[in-house]
Parts: sequence; structure tokens; C-alpha cells
Amino acid sequence: MDREYTIIGTRMTRTDSLAKVTGRASFTADLKLPRMLCAKVLRSPHPHAKILNIDTSKALRLPGVRAVVTAADAHGVKWGVFRYTQDHPMIAVDRVRYVGEDVAGVAAVDEETAMEALDLIQVDYEPLPAVFDPEEAMKEGAPLIHEEYPNNVNIHVHIEVGKVDEAFARAHLVREDTFHAPGEAYSTLEPYAVVASYANGYLDLWVPNAGPHVRAKALSNLLKMPLNKVRVRRINVGGHFGSRSEVSPGDLVTSLLAIKSGCPVKLVLTREENATCTRQVHDIKATIKTGVNKDGTITAKEFRVVYDGGAYSSTGPIATSIPYYVYEEAYRFPNVRYDGYRVITNKGIRGMYGCHGRAFLGGNEMQLDMIARELGMDPMEIRIKNGLKVGEETATKSVIISGGLEEPIRLAAAKANWAERRAGLKEGEGIGMGCVAVMCGFPMGFRSGSACYVKLNDDGQATIVTGICDTGMGNESMAIQIASEVLGIPVEDINLVNADTEATNLDPGAYSQAASFVGGNAVKRACEEAKRQILSFAAAKMNHPVEDLDLKDRTVVSKTDPLKKMPMRWIVREAFFQGKPIAATGAYMPKIDFQREWVKNPYGQMAGTYSFGCSVAQVTVDRETGQIRVPYFVAAHDCGNPINTMAVEGQMEGSVLQAGVAVLAEETRWSQGWLLNPDLLEYKVPLACDMPEIEPVIVRSNDPEGPFGAKEGGLTTRMNAYSAVVCAAHNALGVPLNEFPLTPDRVLKALNAAKSGGES
Amino acid sequence: MERFKVNFQVNGEPVELDVRPSETLLETLRDRLELTGAKEGCGLGACGSCTVLLDGLPTRSCIVLTAEVDGSEVTTIEGLAEGEKLDPVQESFMEKGAVQCGFCTPGMILTARSLLDRNPRPTREDIIRSISSNVCRCTGYKKIVEAVEAVSSTETPET
Ligand code: FES
Ligand code: FES
Repeated sequence: MDREYTIIGTRMTRTDSLAKVTGRASFTADLKLPRMLCAKVLRSPHPHAKILNIDTSKALRLPGVRAVVTAADAHGVKWGVFRYTQDHPMIAVDRVRYVGEDVAGVAAVDEETAMEALDLIQVDYEPLPAVFDPEEAMKEGAPLIHEEYPNNVNIHVHIEVGKVDEAFARAHLVREDTFHAPGEAYSTLEPYAVVASYANGYLDLWVPNAGPHVRAKALSNLLKMPLNKVRVRRINVGGHFGSRSEVSPGDLVTSLLAIKSGCPVKLVLTREENATCTRQVHDIKATIKTGVNKDGTITAKEFRVVYDGGAYSSTGPIATSIPYYVYEEAYRFPNVRYDGYRVITNKGIRGMYGCHGRAFLGGNEMQLDMIARELGMDPMEIRIKNGLKVGEETATKSVIISGGLEEPIRLAAAKANWAERRAGLKEGEGIGMGCVAVMCGFPMGFRSGSACYVKLNDDGQATIVTGICDTGMGNESMAIQIASEVLGIPVEDINLVNADTEATNLDPGAYSQAASFVGGNAVKRACEEAKRQILSFAAAKMNHPVEDLDLKDRTVVSKTDPLKKMPMRWIVREAFFQGKPIAATGAYMPKIDFQREWVKNPYGQMAGTYSFGCSVAQVTVDRETGQIRVPYFVAAHDCGNPINTMAVEGQMEGSVLQAGVAVLAEETRWSQGWLLNPDLLEYKVPLACDMPEIEPVIVRSNDPEGPFGAKEGGLTTRMNAYSAVVCAAHNALGVPLNEFPLTPDRVLKALNAAKSGGES
Repeated sequence: MERFKVNFQVNGEPVELDVRPSETLLETLRDRLELTGAKEGCGLGACGSCTVLLDGLPTRSCIVLTAEVDGSEVTTIEGLAEGEKLDPVQESFMEKGAVQCGFCTPGMILTARSLLDRNPRPTREDIIRSISSNVCRCTGYKKIVEAVEAVSSTETPET
């Protein structure tokens, strides 16, 4: 490839990595402030109960206890992402709806005292009938968990495009299957923690978050404080994957304790609390019906998907829709009906996940393979045939401006030697392919855009100020790299101020895949404006036409005359002299249809652009034990154009772990509303020895809107790796696999069912 | 409450402390010595994010009592670099992109350092086996393995 860029597209060492390899990078739990107190939370021992009375008087009398808070100290405001989903008080008022729900908080001089104080709080509960299975919860007569949701249906998303029933009637072949995947734990390696400090009417917060601006807004609502008095500060975040997008009950409890005690307060959750009381992954059951023509063209799709939403709304409407969207963004559906139901149960709160929708996505792709087999088609061929291309619209009317599904499929297949590998499979081996496309950003009103400031300092170095947030993927480094490219100065000349609501401007945050496409664009525009200012001063000072000037190696250079140049800092100083320091703002708002609404109007442009991806997995299956292994994996992801090639690969490789290997084992297990495997001994996450050989393939579609052509850095792999593995397992075994994850017991069950049922 | 007097070395410096019998080495390092490079990912020996070197061997400091380390030598991530000069493992983790969120990184680096000290030319399988004691939720381990391999091929093995 010809190198148009100096630093974009290189394997640059991430700017945040020095602090991390030396142990100097601070995470929330590492912070220590003067007079800081330790917080602990009293949690509900019931899945569903009325709170009759809370007596904190004994706890308050314990020496060393500085504050106790309950809902009486909160302001009766409920949290929900949308006006119509505000149902979560974050600290229980008169009812608890899941085991582990926050009931009271204590701040004390040390951990022992705080723990002792929890034992002294007397809560009188009246247990209520509870319901744990979403299908049960939807039945007439099931215990009603919130008055406002009849049949416990929290959200119903209905999408209808074309003439679905007619298309099924005319289809050459119709298949209907149901797939189920239980919930999972995000298992970010950093357990949740909050530090809150309140002084002079201002609340400062350090908390693992994926978007400080949305977090501050939520807390200002919950605390009834003006937004400018709630300051969410930048802090390193030990992984996110969807779990840190939203405000968490711990944020409210810790803030209330800091306000009440007048001291900084730190809450650190245990691993078990992190799994039980922060967000979890939705359990999903998807019934999928597909009609095709003789040539494999998909003519009709119908979906009924039930999401176990746990006790509260969370990102409800979004979570109920995303699995469908990342699928319709990949394939052409002329006629489609989608009914997604998010159902309230007496289980912990749920959120979005990097690989949200596994049963739906894996199920769709496995069913496509079953259809391909009946039609005598190659799984690759049927995917290419139905894949969306540039210029086409998705079923719900989003235009694809770059990429398309075919190239990632072809490149993944080429890397994996798809045809040869398939032909050469031995007994017990299988190969499969999974595809999705992912929106880069989605409608969040005026919060969908990002703004950046840049100032040039008197030594010719730059400071950029952006709301971009880094939860581990390298967004900070990405912002600096973009600034370096535009300003022609090395990354070490650039200081970053980011993710701090006091200093930075609005940004959608590190979810919805907007960081590089939206935030990166704002950084680029701000730096371009600064560059324009520098060059116009330089043109005057050097007496040279501005069109022929450029910035390179800290120098203003002529594009045509190598002798014509001047150090950039001279120009910057000149600008100071003239009272016009180099400072600029840049903003980017993606081209989204803001009439679009998740439930009421799910049609129109969803996002500025879409990334496409295809994963190929090879598995081996032991038919005796049901044990599956994944020895080989290819992930092809269309990131538009990589800003940092190594960082994009890293996202893809991590995605193979979280979806492609997780599908063999990861699941949360429950009994009567109790999470049975909240710790890392019982909930086993993949280790180095479990990983396949991974070949990441970066696909470049050079997006016309993205900064330097970039889209997002790896989410398609997170969304399709699961599918690739279940398809490979299906290929190896030749029987439907409807229950995920593919643990040995489930595999053996599927084999036995096929033996007795004769299903192929 | 009963206390124990403990003497040990941390990153080459002698430390003398009175500790509670139940105090873990991780608590001592993080809360008393302000060495927060070792992280608490699980608190029960499952994840390796609290790994330090105890007399050169990777050890989960969340399940070791400080009272037990009397007379030992503890190395934490803060003690690995010599001033500004990074250990080759630290450098390699940076260069190879083996660091994402960084929460597992101190434990991973110390585990790898100890492996290379004991076995300067490990095979890929040796590396995978060794770091399989530690969880990383972000990287998929590929670049961590590559980072360790790169060090082993540049460091001259002792003869
Ligand atoms: S914190 Fe010690 S092993 Fe996880
Ligand atoms: S880099 Fe995040 S856990 Fe390893």
C-alpha cells in the first residue's frame, strides 16, 4: 500500500501503555484522598419483597461510622435511558426486585467498621412471589414486578417491512428454529469502584465509565444537582464491553455518602458484587423463520425474540433492537417482521454487551447453513448472495455508504483457504462462517456528536481537549495519533485532556462504536482548523502562497520548494504576538435521521456508517465426550482504514476470546434468583491455553465520512465470532444445536435428540 | 488485636511492619505501602491480577498473608524498571501492543519476567502454559504471547 499518511495506519505504540506497564496507571480503586472513608452496601437478600421498615440507628451509633444512607436520602428520581423507561430508583425505596439490590450504604473509617455497621442495619422485608423465567413472567397471573409493565413486558419493539406473509407463502423453502443462550458475565477484570468527593457544592467522581458526559447527566438527575456541579473525572478503566455504559447504583450510593459525610468516600465492589449487582448480559431466546428462493435469495424473515431484562429497564429499547439491527445491516431482507420483547424478571440488572444477541445471531447464521445445505449451496455463497452492498438500504432504511459484506467474506475465506479447508475436513472437524455489520454510533439526540478543542502552546506543542473516553481499547492514543497526523508534530508533543466533564465537551462515549468515527472526526476537524490558522500566519510571515504550505516534522514546509521552511513554534509565537493564539474547535455530528425512535419509529438512517465483518472458525468435536475445541480462527473486519493497525488487531483478537471461545463455556447459572457463579472460580473465562491460533484480517473500505477513512475498530468480530463457532460445530456434527453455550452436556444432548428424532 | 512483626524486602528496600494476622500481602502492598500496581481482580486466587514475585516466583498476593512473607523478597511491578530504564518485558509489552486496559498487565509482566528468569528460551507452549495462570479479558492473549517470545529471542540466555 502506498503510504499517504505519516502516522495513521502504523503499528504505533499506544501512548497510554507506558503508565500501564510500570504500574503507575491509576484505576479508581487505587485512588486515595485525604480523610477518605470506606463504603459498603447493604443488599437485598430477597428476589422480590416489600420493604416495611429500615432502622439505621444502631449502625449510626457504631464508633467510626460517618454516614448511613437509604432511599430516604435520595430524591425519589428514577433512572432510565429514555423518559418512558425511568423505573430504577438505584437505591430501593419500598420494594426490592432482585437479590443484591442496593438497600443502604455505610461510610466508615475502615472496611471492618463499615462491614460491622451493615450487620447493625435492621431491614424488615415482606417477601413477595417472584418470577425468574421471562416466558413465565409474560403469562397471565404471573407476579407483576412493576405496575407500569403489564405482563412484565418492559419493551416491545415491532418492525414490519414489506409483505411478510405473502413472501413466506411464495417461498421455495421455509425453516423455523428456536435458539437460546443464557446470560453471561462481562467479567471486566477491574471490579466496579467509585470514589466520590463533595466540597463547596461540587461533586467530583472517579468511576469506571464509558462516557463521562452521559454519566454526569444521569447523576445530576438522580441527585437533583445542576449538571455543572457534577464532575466526572478521567480515570483508567479496566475493561468495559458494555458494562460501564450506564450509571450504576454504586454511583448514587457513594455520592450520597460523600455528600452526607462531607468526606471523600471510596466504594470498591468485590468480584461477586460486581457480577451480581452491576450489569449483566441478557438471556435471549430467539425464534427465527426464514424463507428463501431456489437460488438461496432470502425473501422473508420473521423473528420473535425474548430478552430476559432482569429487574429494571436499563438500555431497554436499545438492547431489544441491536441484535436485529446488526443482522439487517449485513443482509438484504425485502420482507421482515421483528418482534422483540424485553421482559422484566426478578434477576439482576442487564445492559448491552459487546456480543449482545448471541442466540439470535448464532441462530440466524446456523439456520442459513441448514438452508444452504438443503439447497446444495456453499455457506459462503449464500452469504455473499444476500449480503448488502454499498448504495443499498437496510430493511429499515439506512443507506450503506462504504464497505459491504462481500469483501470481508472473500478476504476471510481467502485467508482461511475456505474451500480447501472445507474439502479436507476429517471426521469430527467442522468449519463455519459468521457475519454481521455494525452501526458506528446511533441516535442519541444532541449527544450523538462530539466536539474537540486544540491549542498550540508556545513551544510549538499542542494540547487537545476531547470528551473521548478510553476503557481499554486505545481511544486516547487514537485521538493523539489523529492530532499528530494533522498537525505534523510527533505524538510526544501532544498532551491530551479527555473524558473530564469539567474540561471537555460533549461526546457520545466509548459505546455505540462512535469513538473513532465521531470523536475522531471532531479531533481531526479541530486540528485542521488549527492547521489552517498556522498556515495563514506562516504564509504572511514567509511571504509564500498558503496553498503550497504544509506541516511536517514540527515545521512549516513548502510542498514544492524543500528550502522554504520555518519552525512551527516561530509561527505559534508570532500568533501570540499578534494577540491571536492558535486555538481551534472542531465538531462532528453524524448524519443520522433523528426522527428515528427505537420503539415508535424504527425506520430511517440509524448511523453515519457501518462496519462489516466475517469470521471463520474451525472446530474439532469429540462425539464421545461432547467436548469442542477451536484450534483455528480467522477474523476479517472492515474498519474503513485502521488508525492504529495493532490496536485494531488487538480488538479483534480480544473479541475472539469474548465471543468465539466464550461460546464453549460462558454462562451465568441461577437458582431462585440467586446467581450461582458470581466469582472467577465458578465462572470460567478463557485463558491463554484455551485460545485458537488467530489470524486477524483488516479490511479497508476507506469510508468517505470517517476520519482518514476510519469506521470502528473491531466490533463486528465481537458480534460474529460466536456465530462462526456455532456454525462450525453444526458443520462438524450435522445436527441442530439450539442451546448455547456449546458445553459438552448440551452437545451430547443435541446428538442424542438427533439420534432419536432423526433430524439432520 | 494480635499483631505480628514482619521484616521483608520490597523492591530491594527493607520493610518492617506490624500486621494483623489476617492481613494479605496485597492489602499490605496497596493500602500500607501505596504500591497499587498489583490489582485485586477477584480476591480469591483465580485471576492473577495481584501477582507479585515472592523470592522470584510469581505469587498471588491476595491469598498470601503478610505474616507469612517474613524474611522474603517481594518484587512488584513498581520495582521492575531501573529508574527510567524499563525491563525488556515491559518494553516488549508496549511495542507488541500487549496492553489494552492494563488491569492484568502488572501481573502478566511479572509472570513473564519470572518465566524468562527461570527459562530464558521458553517455547511458545511454555509461554502459553505459564501465562495461563493469569486472566486477561481484553487482548485474547495473542499479543502477550508474542511480546514474551520477542524478549526471549533477544535476551541472551545464561550459560
Ligand atoms: S486478585 Fe489475586 S488472584 Fe485474583
Ligand atoms: S488488558 Fe485488560 S485485562 Fe488484560
